[in-house]
Amino acid sequence: MADFRDEQGRGGQAPPPPPADPKYAWLPKQGVIGTSIKRLDGPEKVTGRAKYTFDIARPGMLYGRIVRSPYPHARIRAVDLSAAQKAPGVKAAIVWRDPANAQRNTVMFQGDEVAGVAADTEEHAIDAARLVKVDYEVLPHITLVDQVLTGSAPAVFQDGNVRQGAVQETGDLAAGFKQAAQTIEETYSTHVITHVCLESHGTVCEWEGDRLTAWVSTQGVNAAREGLATGLGIPQPNVRVITQYMGGGFGSKMGPGAEGLICAKLAQEAKAPVKLMVDRKEEHLATGNRPSATARIKAGVSADGVLTAFDAETWGTGGAGAAAGFPLPYIYLPPNRRRTHKDVYINTGQQRPMRAPGHPQGSFITEVLMEELADKIKMDPIEFRIKNLPPEAPNAMWATYLRQGAAEFGWNKRHPTGDTTAGPIKTGMGVAINTWGGGGRGPTQVRCEISSDGVVVVKCGTQDLGTGTRTLVAVVAAETLGLSPAMIRPEIGDTMYGVAGASGGSTTAAGVSPAVRIATFNALEALKAKVAPALGVEATASKGLSWADACKQIGPQPISVEGNWQPGLSSVTTSGVQFAEVSVDIETGIVKVNRVLAIQDCGLIVSRLTAESQVYGGVIGSLNFALFEDRILDRNTGQMVNPNMEWYLLAGMSDVPRIDVRLIDQPERGVIGIGEPPTVSTAAAITCAVRNAIGVTVRSLPLTPAKILQTLAQQRRA
Amino acid sequence: MARKGKKPGSFSVSRRDFLKTAGVVSAVTAAASPTEAEAQAAAVRGVGPGEVPVRLMVNGKRLDLMIEPRVTLLDALRMRADMTGNKRVCDRGTCGACTMIVDGRPVYSCSTLAIECQGKTVRNIDGLAAGTALHPVQQAFCDKDALMCGFCTPGFIMASVALLEKTPNPTPEQIRKGLDGNICRCGTFSRIMEAVSSVKGVTRG
Repeated sequence: MADFRDEQGRGGQAPPPPPADPKYAWLPKQGVIGTSIKRLDGPEKVTGRAKYTFDIARPGMLYGRIVRSPYPHARIRAVDLSAAQKAPGVKAAIVWRDPANAQRNTVMFQGDEVAGVAADTEEHAIDAARLVKVDYEVLPHITLVDQVLTGSAPAVFQDGNVRQGAVQETGDLAAGFKQAAQTIEETYSTHVITHVCLESHGTVCEWEGDRLTAWVSTQGVNAAREGLATGLGIPQPNVRVITQYMGGGFGSKMGPGAEGLICAKLAQEAKAPVKLMVDRKEEHLATGNRPSATARIKAGVSADGVLTAFDAETWGTGGAGAAAGFPLPYIYLPPNRRRTHKDVYINTGQQRPMRAPGHPQGSFITEVLMEELADKIKMDPIEFRIKNLPPEAPNAMWATYLRQGAAEFGWNKRHPTGDTTAGPIKTGMGVAINTWGGGGRGPTQVRCEISSDGVVVVKCGTQDLGTGTRTLVAVVAAETLGLSPAMIRPEIGDTMYGVAGASGGSTTAAGVSPAVRIATFNALEALKAKVAPALGVEATASKGLSWADACKQIGPQPISVEGNWQPGLSSVTTSGVQFAEVSVDIETGIVKVNRVLAIQDCGLIVSRLTAESQVYGGVIGSLNFALFEDRILDRNTGQMVNPNMEWYLLAGMSDVPRIDVRLIDQPERGVIGIGEPPTVSTAAAITCAVRNAIGVTVRSLPLTPAKILQTLAQQRRA
Repeated sequence: MARKGKKPGSFSVSRRDFLKTAGVVSAVTAAASPTEAEAQAAAVRGVGPGEVPVRLMVNGKRLDLMIEPRVTLLDALRMRADMTGNKRVCDRGTCGACTMIVDGRPVYSCSTLAIECQGKTVRNIDGLAAGTALHPVQQAFCDKDALMCGFCTPGFIMASVALLEKTPNPTPEQIRKGLDGNICRCGTFSRIMEAVSSVKGVTRG
């Protein structure tokens, strides 16, 4: 069972090969690792003492503000800063899009950056931004993907409004359809949503000569340093980036962004520190989104429940010139399949990675189709899924989790499609599968310092997005040194602490944990070597000596050793299965999620409490995707009509169901990472549950009341 | 998505006062005796557009600020008094990250002018803990991991404190309704439910 294969030895999750030096390997029996350690920075956050970029105040600090295009597509003829420069309190004003530069003078979406100002107060900066006169030559724009697909869109993008991908084809499609007893031809789609980080994107920039210190709300201090240095044309070592606390990124904060560069330039011109945090509207318009996904699918299934053929034409939009890819048919690998994909460009802000990029879209499209196919051949949806799992890993895990979940969730009480109970409230159950790669990588440098007073400092240029990285560092160090996590002082969120990867794609836990393990292991060996002479024994021998007494032997020069990420302590690929139960009011169209069961593995669980929190958060994020969030554009003007938080809906307390989280322990596999996988499949599970409740399929997200009622009405007419 | 919005802080200026400050004195004089109207008109002071003195009572301490009348309670405390605990997120009274307790009631401080709060008692997250001792609600949030990025947390905690001071033993439904005016993006709602349910014995602060 060590590699988690099924009874026939197929499709397990193999543990990684051991590390080059086996002494670093995780111990078979862990102490503090895997337990529920309270978040180390909890007290800082609950008291408001935690200083986010948004909270940084520097002596003489100014406030920056960006002037943005109100048009989705325009050429900048002229920018006049003179009135703004004379406004009260203004200390700097810059043109970001130079009208004279043909490469840079066009704005491609509402909210595209044009100019920037900085003033002594935020109110003055807002006033001054309004005084910047921009002469726009308004150009034709594209709001709707359909305009492009039907050929009615103007030619907007230099290399065409569409990027056509290559055809991917395996097997014999015609033969596959010949084997099919039933076929389905339908179109499925998901919508564009935005990240809605509660702390908006932004930076505080302070120059000292040609050296820049930047507090950036970022998921990667080192990546932000690279972005700032490149964008400003200065050497990377001249830039220090600090991110002690970060108010949510979800993939959208991998670099400094235009807002960071504008902030740095304003600070340079004003010769004073500048804080520039974008406001809520700008956050929706210009700092990323999850691309849409549409798939026109023809699929065939044999009488005994084997997916024989899958033919899909897919497209999506990631905004102005950005890709919109997603995996399809998600985890399944029917032998005969074909897919053609195109990215469609429209005049909106560009997509950025958003928690499990592509997977929620692929999962929704595939799993709803699977539900329909299962009904066509009158097979239980779980048995149908198990029958069609791919031969490769981790199919054994999915099969196990599907059966385990079915038993716990009460799947045997699920009625066939369509709740026949009298009255307007219909209930139903659904299920969906997830996977994600994750895994660790180098370079991830960690330095461990132990001083004669026994204080242990563990430094790493990683960052804590709220996932609990700081706590994870302490837990791994404590485990290795035999101390309690409270005795460890993690120092992260600063480029001064060395090179580590940006936190994206569930790679942080699996990147940082091995490096901390190795650095602290090396530190312990160095400590033993120092202590040995005092004890008159070999360094390897164990002899009782308290931590404090041992550290007294260190002397004035602290122990300071490094570790770097090595393979062998982390793995890739998680698997999970989620179940949802919903109630749908067929008179109002309102969907209420009653409960969700999430079964999830992520290798060796380092910090149980924060790992569970990631699953709760993933489920709730996906519920938002399913029911509430929607970036709505005005088709004529290309303006986003809900760039706020009252019409861009997000779940509140009353919308959140009971969520049961079951983490599966796989200590043999090393650390993997859990940020992405739990947010992949809830939306699909909810949609399958709604179908089970009301007896008709809603093939696009979000599941708004209007759409539910419309779908029911269509069914009645048909 | 039924969301029970919090009512704004009791705005004590009457419609009549509003008309006066808005400069529509004649509308008032028509309804009042000449001497009374003159006395009222004399008492009217225009404020702004520049900075004006504003005196606030925040966490039991007097705070004298020079701010423009348009500055919100949230921005005044964040940018003029370095009380950065409560956050600005939606900036239009939807998400609750700015929730403070004014005269015992939770308010959205992003949508409350600082100048309106003169003569009222304001409590925010920066003053909730007694020194190093966490308030029971803060402790419960730590114990149950009811926070991730932590940006919504100050608002949730203040809303929870206001709820528990009014309703010390809330039902789950009362907790949900009491916190429906707050939004978390990381998805900590389940943990917040656990945390608030676990707090016992909060008395009015």
